[in-house]
Amino acid sequence: MVKLLKNLMKSPMFVVGIVIFVLSLLVAVFGPLFYNVDINARDIVAGPYAPSSAEHLLGTDHLGRDYVSLLIAGLRSSLYVGLIAGVIATTIGVFIGLFGGFRGGWIDEVLNMGTNLFIVIPQFVILVLISSAVKEGRSLTLIGLIIGLTSWSWSARSVRAQASSLRSRDHIALAKMNGDGNLKILLKHVLPYLLSYVFMVFIMQVSSGILSEASISMIGLGPLDSTSLGIILNQAKDNGALSDSIWIAFLPATLVITLTVFALYLINTSMEGVFNPRLRK
Amino acid sequence: MNSLKTIAKGTIALSACFGILVGCSGGSEASSDTLPRKETMYLSGQQWGTPGSFNPIAESWNAAWPVGGRFNLMYEPLITYNTLNGQMEPLLGSLVEELSNTDSIVVDLNPAAKWSDGVPVTSKDVKFIFELGHHYSGVAINTSEQITGVNVNVIATVDSASGDTTSKVERLSFMINKNGRNNPLSVKDLLQAIRIVPEHVFSKLIAEHGNSVEEVKKIMMDKNPADGKAPVVSGPYNLDSYSTTKIILKRRDDYWGNAALHNGELPAPKYIVHPIYKSNEHSTIALHDGDLDASMSFVPRIWRKKIAGVHAWLEEPPYFTAGAMPMMMINTQHKPLDNKYFRRAVATAIDYIAIRQFAVSNYTSELEPGLIMPTNLEGKYINKEDCAKYGVNLSLSGQERIDSVQALLKLAGVKSVYNEDGVLDHMEYENGERIKTLFITSPNGWTDWEAMVTIAVESMRKAGLDIREGFVDGGQYWPAMGQGNFDLVMHKPTADVTPSLPWSRFNEVMSSRDWAPLGNWAGTNIGRYNQPGTPEYRPEVDSLLAAVPLMTDSVAIADAYRTLNRIFMEDQVAIPLAYLPEQYYEYSDHVWTNWPNSQNPYAPQQLPWIGSGTKILWNIKLSK
Amino acid sequence: MLKQYPTLRYVLQKGFWYFLTFIVAIAINFALPRLGENNPVDIVMGKAAQGLSPEEAMQKKETLLKAFGMAELDDQGKVVYDTVPEFDANGKAVLDENSKQKMIPQPRLSSGISQFFVYVKNVFHGDFGLSYSQYPKPVIEIIKESLPWTLLIQAPTILLGWIFGNLLGAFAAYKRGIFDKVFFPVAMFLNGIPYFVFGMLLVALFSVTLGWFPAMNAYGMDVIPGFNLAFFKSVGYYYVLPFFSCFPILLSGQATGMRSMAIYELGTDYMKYAKWLGLREGKIISYVFRNAMLPQLTGLAQSLGAMVGGALITEMIFSYPGLGMAMLTAIQQNDYATIQGCTLMISTCVLLANFLVDILIAVFDPRVKAGLQMGGK
Repeated sequence: MVKLLKNLMKSPMFVVGIVIFVLSLLVAVFGPLFYNVDINARDIVAGPYAPSSAEHLLGTDHLGRDYVSLLIAGLRSSLYVGLIAGVIATTIGVFIGLFGGFRGGWIDEVLNMGTNLFIVIPQFVILVLISSAVKEGRSLTLIGLIIGLTSWSWSARSVRAQASSLRSRDHIALAKMNGDGNLKILLKHVLPYLLSYVFMVFIMQVSSGILSEASISMIGLGPLDSTSLGIILNQAKDNGALSDSIWIAFLPATLVITLTVFALYLINTSMEGVFNPRLRK
Repeated sequence: MNSLKTIAKGTIALSACFGILVGCSGGSEASSDTLPRKETMYLSGQQWGTPGSFNPIAESWNAAWPVGGRFNLMYEPLITYNTLNGQMEPLLGSLVEELSNTDSIVVDLNPAAKWSDGVPVTSKDVKFIFELGHHYSGVAINTSEQITGVNVNVIATVDSASGDTTSKVERLSFMINKNGRNNPLSVKDLLQAIRIVPEHVFSKLIAEHGNSVEEVKKIMMDKNPADGKAPVVSGPYNLDSYSTTKIILKRRDDYWGNAALHNGELPAPKYIVHPIYKSNEHSTIALHDGDLDASMSFVPRIWRKKIAGVHAWLEEPPYFTAGAMPMMMINTQHKPLDNKYFRRAVATAIDYIAIRQFAVSNYTSELEPGLIMPTNLEGKYINKEDCAKYGVNLSLSGQERIDSVQALLKLAGVKSVYNEDGVLDHMEYENGERIKTLFITSPNGWTDWEAMVTIAVESMRKAGLDIREGFVDGGQYWPAMGQGNFDLVMHKPTADVTPSLPWSRFNEVMSSRDWAPLGNWAGTNIGRYNQPGTPEYRPEVDSLLAAVPLMTDSVAIADAYRTLNRIFMEDQVAIPLAYLPEQYYEYSDHVWTNWPNSQNPYAPQQLPWIGSGTKILWNIKLSK
Repeated sequence: MLKQYPTLRYVLQKGFWYFLTFIVAIAINFALPRLGENNPVDIVMGKAAQGLSPEEAMQKKETLLKAFGMAELDDQGKVVYDTVPEFDANGKAVLDENSKQKMIPQPRLSSGISQFFVYVKNVFHGDFGLSYSQYPKPVIEIIKESLPWTLLIQAPTILLGWIFGNLLGAFAAYKRGIFDKVFFPVAMFLNGIPYFVFGMLLVALFSVTLGWFPAMNAYGMDVIPGFNLAFFKSVGYYYVLPFFSCFPILLSGQATGMRSMAIYELGTDYMKYAKWLGLREGKIISYVFRNAMLPQLTGLAQSLGAMVGGALITEMIFSYPGLGMAMLTAIQQNDYATIQGCTLMISTCVLLANFLVDILIAVFDPRVKAGLQMGGK
């Protein structure tokens, strides 16, 4: 484990990725301690879309609310949704993939068919259908849940591929001979080999969760109970920031969301490089 | 290797295609398939969806611009109302003020008026549309409550110099239904709202469709069903073509009004196009880019667009003259909103200055308490003394406002309960009974209303009122409002500026004439105020509302309005939030110039398609 | 029987599988919007019933129930009515003059199952029902108007993005060095930008600030759609920004994928051997490309869904009159029939595209030719 980390730390991509990501986590969690402006407070003196100033580093939005605090709150919501979606999607994906890949046979066939179904039917479509049906109480958690429940398919597929390659390994056969139950074998002998892989899957799921939430918020089907980066962008767009060229209203949010996802990609790619030595030079 | 070559070839072919596509972008000017920019006026703000019908007798919500609503480019009303000075201006006919009284309203038809197929516009056409609802069921425009019918006399006009009879004029008397509404004011509203349709076309259609108006309403009417050509209209423009992205009207050079009303001149634009944008934002960008000449959509921060040549009626705040009053309607059947002190507390708690600044871009003048707007049409009915004495104090701020709200809550017997952190938790009655959170219903996505509600809720909660935003989909908003399924709801009663204001506003907010219990559909008084038969019932409201339309003495009228406004303030029936224009009016000097504005008010603050705003078309000029 | 024709057998197998998936897609489309209490008749009635008498309203409701296939019909095709007790808005029983429970007739709604079968039958007949918001316009009309625009945006962006992405990725993998060092992080960064955000940036920069390209719509307001040069020119001009708001992101996504794949290929023993043998550079790249191609093709099938979703939102930014825009409008107006129609159409298109890719795989993959890949995917 330590060796692994050491290896990872050698990769500049990983270092950059982890630094950006940890930074964004810190800002999201502890940001309010250092920069505490009520996101509901509107500054009547500054007015709508105020430019950058000492009180408002990134100006104010169309309702006179401080952009920095909105961004902090938005980042927190986006990460929260990403984590929820990531955990759910990874759990389902790993479970289905492991089970199917390890068991093989008709169970695998059925699970595989279900997985393929979700791969082929665009996730965005299902998201739109569900979100537009849930009228009231479309909370942040619910959105995360929906995203998680609809985005597990490709994790399941890649975990399945890995698991089925493990199936024929000797130590598994040995465990089988010992009469260990399937579940025990899975947890004790298969999962540990895939841990790093599962972690990579998780990272990708988090990043896709963040992007999905932004998309769904962008078309006005996002959470009703909180501010997310997607909602900030949607409101800027709906309230004339584009037509008045008020860059400060949408550029920071764009950067925050892109950097966060970028960081996750970096982490993922560098891990891939470490676990798969041939990708290294 | 073959596959690689195939792909490479495909790539080259595709990129070549794309290159051509992009290469086409460099533009040469006008061919026959484009509308020449210098002969075309682009207007927007009315049509947001795919045109559904161009049938003038279909329901207004189903008919597309310029047929639904009050537009007079294709079908014209008898008279138009000038919202600038309150005058009735002639169109197909002219109002004979001196002969109109509380029994009938008299209009002379213009003998020059003709349909596009050459048939003259006669009393037959007028009687057809005004009496359609008297003969058939399912008619969208039904006047049977307002008038008993239209009487026709033919009078001869005499040339004053020669003494010869020049022409015969049809004089129409709209007989007020004394047993119905008995309301000359709303008959005048109808005269400028109902557009006359060609009787010779529609009678035939109705006969062909088994005497069913319902069936005829389903006809698209984008063409004349008889010959498949352009529909028969009387107005200066006719439908040329339409699609999901725009509606194109083409000038009718043989329009009867050019000679009869405009000294033989043609309107300047040959084409009028209504682009169908998907959001306000898009029409704002188009206006900014000079692709759109005028719009009635909400354009935030108009002062930032001056550089791009985009202007409003006024060059400084409030930028527009007020015409409509978005307000929060209160469900007086829901506790504790049935208590007038509680309603007053809610009205007091709102931060009106923040609403003005953030929600409506400073497009409202300072508010007066009451239901009358300080405009030049109705401002004369405001009594400042009463406002100070009975009205809610709109200029409070900070702690003063909170104290004032709390004092009113005490009168209402309601207490705010805070949690340990000092955050408002809920409200309860003095006996400790907990009050459920109240919600302000407002349609999702109407950004200016959303902002108003958000701001109002914030200041309400600060003052100790447990009220929250209740944004709902458009599909739920209308039924909720009609059936009284709300605590507070955003609404704009009497959105149009008509001759009957401010009477119609009082009527729509306070009248108990059609009082409907919760669950039944209410068209007026959706707050269910002043329920007849209850101890709190104030009969003077209804008797005044019935009397005002028949009054002729200006002092008596002013007195009546004063009383009505006082009662409104005492009972806090609803909560007006801002004074916004009837419709927004923003124009660009990019292609067309000489738009009316406060410096050059030759026409009211309206796009050139409605009311007396159409005269803009004859006055507009090309920019250099 | 088909043993001699492994490719055909493979295609038939796939076809059958996609047909099953299509049925499931229909089921999802049918079920999801009915999760909430969304009754189309009430939505249309809310707008249409204003100013109608109770009898007229009842008649209208009957017509609507029939139109939306929601009412139980008797043998003559008439709506079946039940007599039920009336309740007011607060759930209290309404009493008649004799203070007895008042009974009112109420149309009997058909069951979910029978509605489903009607729905499936209609879908196969190309009947997607009537739009609620543009009632009585059929949803299929809306789809017919918008599908071509969606294809116009999506097909070239996905195809070109895939092709150029792969070429670029393979090149970067082979070259490595400074080109790769710059290219790779940039591609990954681009890949992290949501499509719509990139679109917004393009609008703000190239349309509002610089005024070079139009910000919305598919063609100018001054042209009349038809087979004429002015129209095509205008379409081309308006195509630029929407295209470039998807293309770079798609391209970089594919390129990063191809790069990893190609590096992997380059590291294989046969490649080392080939280099050791001193084969020409072009030859090596082409080997790498070819071997990495197949997984990339499968990758395309997998990511089609995601790509399509992203590009749909691009339509919303640019008000491009395709399915995405139709769907957004429908969402705003609570028009479930149209939402359903659009989502089903999108799913169908993605299914078809996937099927096409699978056939391509069958053509390229030697294992299929050898009849080795028999099972599912």
